[in-house]
Amino acid sequence: MRIGVFHETYASEESLLDSQTQRAVFAVFLAAFLALPLYGSDYVLAMVCIVGIHLIAVIGLNIITGNTGLISLSQAAFMGVGCYSVAWAARWGIPFYFALPLAGALTALVGVLVGLPSLRVKGLYLAIATLAAQFILSFCFREWESVTGGVGGIRIPRAYLFGIELSGDRRLFYLIFSCVFLLGLLACNLSRTYVGRAFVAVRDRDISAEILGVNLLRAKLLAFAMGSFYAGVAGGLLGYFYGAVTPTYFDFGLSVFYLAAIIVGGLGSVLGSVLGAAFMTLVPEVLRVATDLARPWFPGLAGLLLPMGQVVFGVLIIGFLIFEPHGLAEIWARVRRAFVLWPAKT
Amino acid sequence: MTRLTKLTRREVVGSLGAAGAAAVVSPFVGDRALAQSGDIVVGAGQPLTGIFSFAGVAMDAGLNDYCAWRNENGGVQGRKLRYVAEDTGFKLDQSVAVFKKIMASDKPNFYYCDGTPTSKAVAQDVLDAGTVMTTSTSCASVLCDPVNMPHHFLATPTYGSMHEILMEYISREVKGASGKPTVALVYSDTEFGRDGIPASKARAQKLGLPIVEEIITKQAGIDVTPEVARLRRAKPDVVIFQGYVLSPIPDFIKQMREAGLSSRAMGTIWSMDKPTYDAMGAIGEPWAGVMPYRYPYDKESKTIATIREFVAKNRPNMAHVSIFYLHGWLSGMIFAEIAERCIKEGKPFTLPNMKAALESIRDWDAGGMTGVTIDLSRHQIASGRLYQYNASNKQMEPLGDWIKV
Amino acid sequence: MSEFIEFSLLGLFSGGVYALIALGFVLIYKCTRVINFAIGEVMMLGAYFYYTANVIFGVSPLEAVVLALISISIFSLIFEYLVLRPLSGQPVVSVLMATIGLASIIHGMVEATWGSDTVNVPRPFPSMRLIFGDVLVPGSVVTNFAAAVVLIGLFSVFFRYSKTGVTLRATASDPVTAATLGIDIRYAQRLSWVLAGIVGTIAGVLISTASGLSPLLSAGALSVFAVIILGGLDSVLGAIVAALAVGWMESIVVGYVGGKARDVVPYLTVLGILMIRPYGLFGTRQIERL
Repeated sequence: MRIGVFHETYASEESLLDSQTQRAVFAVFLAAFLALPLYGSDYVLAMVCIVGIHLIAVIGLNIITGNTGLISLSQAAFMGVGCYSVAWAARWGIPFYFALPLAGALTALVGVLVGLPSLRVKGLYLAIATLAAQFILSFCFREWESVTGGVGGIRIPRAYLFGIELSGDRRLFYLIFSCVFLLGLLACNLSRTYVGRAFVAVRDRDISAEILGVNLLRAKLLAFAMGSFYAGVAGGLLGYFYGAVTPTYFDFGLSVFYLAAIIVGGLGSVLGSVLGAAFMTLVPEVLRVATDLARPWFPGLAGLLLPMGQVVFGVLIIGFLIFEPHGLAEIWARVRRAFVLWPAKT
Repeated sequence: MTRLTKLTRREVVGSLGAAGAAAVVSPFVGDRALAQSGDIVVGAGQPLTGIFSFAGVAMDAGLNDYCAWRNENGGVQGRKLRYVAEDTGFKLDQSVAVFKKIMASDKPNFYYCDGTPTSKAVAQDVLDAGTVMTTSTSCASVLCDPVNMPHHFLATPTYGSMHEILMEYISREVKGASGKPTVALVYSDTEFGRDGIPASKARAQKLGLPIVEEIITKQAGIDVTPEVARLRRAKPDVVIFQGYVLSPIPDFIKQMREAGLSSRAMGTIWSMDKPTYDAMGAIGEPWAGVMPYRYPYDKESKTIATIREFVAKNRPNMAHVSIFYLHGWLSGMIFAEIAERCIKEGKPFTLPNMKAALESIRDWDAGGMTGVTIDLSRHQIASGRLYQYNASNKQMEPLGDWIKV
Repeated sequence: MSEFIEFSLLGLFSGGVYALIALGFVLIYKCTRVINFAIGEVMMLGAYFYYTANVIFGVSPLEAVVLALISISIFSLIFEYLVLRPLSGQPVVSVLMATIGLASIIHGMVEATWGSDTVNVPRPFPSMRLIFGDVLVPGSVVTNFAAAVVLIGLFSVFFRYSKTGVTLRATASDPVTAATLGIDIRYAQRLSWVLAGIVGTIAGVLISTASGLSPLLSAGALSVFAVIILGGLDSVLGAIVAALAVGWMESIVVGYVGGKARDVVPYLTVLGILMIRPYGLFGTRQIERL
């Protein structure tokens, strides 16, 4: 029940958490979450770290596609750029707190280059241009052996913080989620700034936006730059997490996965990205548990896990598109709205 | 329409909640019993589903069966082998998560990875743990690195070594159309394809075998006509295929024969399995290649006979024993041998001890499975023999003797 | 020089099959403005239907083709009804993602039903090699090209002269006016999906009889996106010309540079073309109004 939330200033209206209950709940959640390395099992921790890494990339993609309406099929390749940049930075002894932003910046540069066709084309044509970028970058990862190690992949040395080696999931968890919180906050804040509103204007009616004084090219390129920066940081964290990656990780399938995550989660909102990333990563897990449990009745089911996963993936996408186009974020919002007047119903 | 939306919404929220709860709770609930003292734990992340499922299922069976057989036959100095495996679908995220899970709950001494990406990704964790030796399906030379990856070994030769064996055979036995036999390399643009090529070219150069054409293709699903056109112009005496399990080799060969090329076609280990040589037989091709093990119908090896017996008794539905099964069995044998050597010398299972035990395997007779005795001092079994398809009995027959490199 | 001719011919001939696939895509886009990312999977599914009928049930090739076409038509109709109907009017990204979801579903179903191994599909037509001096074009390539040419020719005739063809063209150029004039645009849209499925199936059968059938067949359609963009999303002539061009380019690249660059070259070209002629070589310029 929402009582006593009266906004008296613009600032309080724009704030991200605007009621006492909300702040309290969020604080409790944060505390429980940050304490996860202390009580969680290794497996759960590893899965949560992976979700965190994918989450950063998904937030980035949501900025490009959800906020600005530019369909990007190359987010996975941008992650790859970030990962290889971090490998190189680590080789030159640059500590992670410089290496990660550096990787992000390099990827942002690549993102701007990929976004240049938006000068001339939009919609599907731009999507195919990003598809082309995905394939070309994959090709570079495989062939440019001197820089990327070719098909054999590359090693990324461990990160060090003031001499403490960040090895093991428990320490990396904090690194990954500090990045998540920082970048997530940045993305949340975007909607309160001119830049964020310009993005939305470009998505909804770009010709009108141009008439209103929004520089289209600058806005689109900035969107690409920001989204790729996020992907670059995610790629860098992936490198620290796995220690060694091969170019096959950053393939078109991963880009599709991210796109599905934002569709399922909800276009244009950070909460949507969180829900989408978590949901899409957990669905294969749930399927695995389900086939394990069903083993006494359907022993052959485990062999069909991967194809089943693909079918479920497709059904989820289509299901959400038809029944809930605004994604999980909308479902969440509806649940919250139901609680506004609770226990009264109307 | 409102009714439909309400129903859908509740259903969705409810099922999401249940699914989320299941996913979060299950890892805690499904915990295995802690390793009993004395058990030697062999962990594995196998691609039981996905693009390599045909291999994963067989390797899982091989490793599992070896542990079962060994336990029936006295265990390792009285201690039992316990096999713990999970499906990875050949996805890196999944493989690493499975590795961490098994490491936490079962504390294995030996771990079987599902390929090169996983082996490299878990290397750091394995070195940190310091009590695990690993092997995998991949024969990549980048994994055969006693300095940087002391915990890892290959139960096969590296792809490079296999090519060296091929080159040795070609230079000794194949007659060229004019002078030395010319060789063409056809490989896929993946690590499986490219890993062995530098060693291959180096050995060919040393033996004076000219490499007249080098063709790189995508992994599969391709149209090979321009590549065959190039081969046709190069007119090699031998064409070596690397990096494919089956397709597109038959396609290539069909078109080569149609174009009038009479080159011999050869492959390496994973393309020497029954589905491949059967497909070759179906198009009338005398397929040949290098195999580090004997075939399951071989009559000279004790281990192979044991395997045949075990499979007949315990897996009557298994139509044929694949190479991947043999690989799993042999990996199990090596794990057990390392454990046995450590136990005999009274040393605990730490990385330096296990590595020393591995490298002390120099002249080990593993029941004749690999033809010659096994030498693992360089973390690979660098020996193999050429086999060729015999159309009359539809089997692969040995060509020449075992070659060590 | 003969090498160049050989590679060029091979490329042009294999471009014929690309043209078939691109035709399917353009058909759908023209009539329904839907971007179909699932063309590769539909092609693969059709090829698997043919394989099931021909190899598993032993039906003769011609009947197997007919059965496969009927199955794919039913499948397209079901998909159009269940998924595209509710999504009509939604933004581009939604429909695109719906077709990506469809691609995923088909891929999973195919792998679950037929497994991921490669199977051999026997050729139904005799193989005619072409030899001019030093240049050899293998039989499978020639027959594929011939089949593609025949089919595209039939389609062109159908579009131009038959009543249904004119209906489809009317719906494609202006659905609102067509509806005002009494044309059932729903029927036309359904028909376009069915026709695209038919064309894709034939392309799939042609490819699988030449190079074997496996779930990886759908990946062969990725170069077709480059073809489509090059030719223009809504131009049939553009699709054909671009397909031949891309096929030729791929062949030359493989011949002279090596198979590694095979995927990349069409896409590099696409990027180049997008800067000069954003709507493709023959596409219609999209004019946006406020």
